[in-house]
Amino acid sequence: MSTPYVFRPTTSPQEAANWSPRQILATDLRAVRGRAYPRVTGMFREKSWVFFEILLPFLATSAFVFVYRALQAPPEYIGFVVLGGAMTAFWLNVIWMMAQQLWWEKSQGNLELYFAAPMNIMSVLFGMAVGGFVMSSTRAVTVLLIATTLYGVSFAIDQWFLLIAVFGLTLVALYGLGMVLASLFLMWGREAWHLTQLLIEPVYFVSGMSFPVGRLGVVGSLAISILPLAVGLDAMRQLAFADAAYPLGTPGPQVEALILVAMTAFFLLAARWTLRVLENRARREGRLSVRWQ
Amino acid sequence: MSGAEVPITGLESPRWGGFDPARTRGRGAADIRRSFSVSARLGWQMEANWTDPVLFFIYSVAKPVSSALILVLMLEVIGAGGRRDYRAFVVIGSALWSFVISGISGLAWSVLDDRERYRMLKYVYVSPSDFLVVLLGRGLARVAVGGMGAAITLAIGVVLLGVPFDPSAVNWPLLVVVMAAGIASIVAIGIVLAAICLQTRQEAWSYPEAVAGALFLVSGAVFPLAVLPAPIQALGLLTPLTWWIEGIREAMFPGGLTAVGGPGSLFASLVGQERPHELLTFIALLATGAVATLAAIAVFRTSDRRAKDRGLLDQTTGS
Repeated sequence: MSTPYVFRPTTSPQEAANWSPRQILATDLRAVRGRAYPRVTGMFREKSWVFFEILLPFLATSAFVFVYRALQAPPEYIGFVVLGGAMTAFWLNVIWMMAQQLWWEKSQGNLELYFAAPMNIMSVLFGMAVGGFVMSSTRAVTVLLIATTLYGVSFAIDQWFLLIAVFGLTLVALYGLGMVLASLFLMWGREAWHLTQLLIEPVYFVSGMSFPVGRLGVVGSLAISILPLAVGLDAMRQLAFADAAYPLGTPGPQVEALILVAMTAFFLLAARWTLRVLENRARREGRLSVRWQ
Repeated sequence: MSGAEVPITGLESPRWGGFDPARTRGRGAADIRRSFSVSARLGWQMEANWTDPVLFFIYSVAKPVSSALILVLMLEVIGAGGRRDYRAFVVIGSALWSFVISGISGLAWSVLDDRERYRMLKYVYVSPSDFLVVLLGRGLARVAVGGMGAAITLAIGVVLLGVPFDPSAVNWPLLVVVMAAGIASIVAIGIVLAAICLQTRQEAWSYPEAVAGALFLVSGAVFPLAVLPAPIQALGLLTPLTWWIEGIREAMFPGGLTAVGGPGSLFASLVGQERPHELLTFIALLATGAVATLAAIAVFRTSDRRAKDRGLLDQTTGS
């Protein structure tokens, strides 16, 4: 059987430990692939997620569609809800499977192995993000396709490139935020679990998941400057429903794309920094493993 | 036994010697009561002992209040915010939904908590306590948290969101009996979810929310069922949650908007009435709740057997 690991004779342990940039990169990429693998493969091994994570969330999105229908809202609002419902998949994934994950790994005894392995821990987070993205994209696309067909949502897109760029930037910023939260949750321990609960409905509210965030006034503006989900969703709605009478109160999509660029850079750098600081702190305080292991 | 040792009361051999088979049967109701109270206390400790009361309070009410605010904003956005009857309708529906989410997730998360995080499920399972009783006790704490969230959401609705509420108009007896029957139905759905979580992997954390989200569609929580296609309305009429919410609405706001009836509803076409009478609502709640409870017990016992058979009680998963 072939193996990627080749014995290379060296004259000293120092020389053996002195990896070339290529070796480091190859190992980190393998770590990304290795961490993404269980998430992607798990999708095919246990099929229950198709029912619980695609069909049922679609029904939950439908509930908000029917609220607008009951109120005889303009048709574009149905589209706003459908787009918001699709994007919830990514937020839930970031909260449940990114932010909490390092703490989970700690509970399961994997965290100390991650830190002991010869790789950058950021590659583990990146692998989690890649695997999570595949899972959430499946759900988001399915919800979007079914709801668009079933509820007759019609998109009017003038700037395809900007829309795709905003979507991509939103995801990178979101998963960057997830990486920051993962480090923080690692330190907060059990409080993190409860904080997860706080970060679902309240974030849906301030992000304008079911209505244009501009209607929230100051709270909406604050959300746009802090939460990638709020700014990304608002920009995507403006771009995907270009013909709709979109409520005023938020910047144009170009400005929001720039906000997302800034958020992406900030969250990725912050993730790197918090991970390093909190890893050091966790090592000093003995928080990388749980007591009973 | 040396003279210094104190005999342990109740564990000594019977006077006639030998083995007393009655011991293996336990003390019946007294054992159940004790298991339930201990697990309820444990559940409450696990829910509440991680932080100070203020933070715990914020955590408990933030979710239901946000859910209600989302719906109120939706009304405002399309200019229906002036309809105070509809505002009361959505505030009550979303407040009560806090019970549903808590009740369903409490039991399911107890299974996942004990199996995946604390890895205690197998020990709890082999203890003399009935496993289902332990789960019910653990779930009770979360129902209490949900109840607190629902009460605060209603209070915010009345005080800040202009929901018209007159305590003297409330039908208190109906409120009490419907609430009791409704909570029993919620617990039954929670048992089904706990049974499902015995079979699934760690990612099942989000399943209770997903199920609650789907039931949200058919239960008339925030919009009248009449806007749904007839087959889905029929599904809603078979759900105890629909009748529970309808009963609570009728008890708290007599004569207000109905989720079950109304022009063009399946209920109106079947029964010939515009809105269900409160007795009919209660009977329908009892009937659908009884079916849900029996089904839940059957599903749980089947899942329990399968979990033992396949060694799922001590599995830990992850991805």
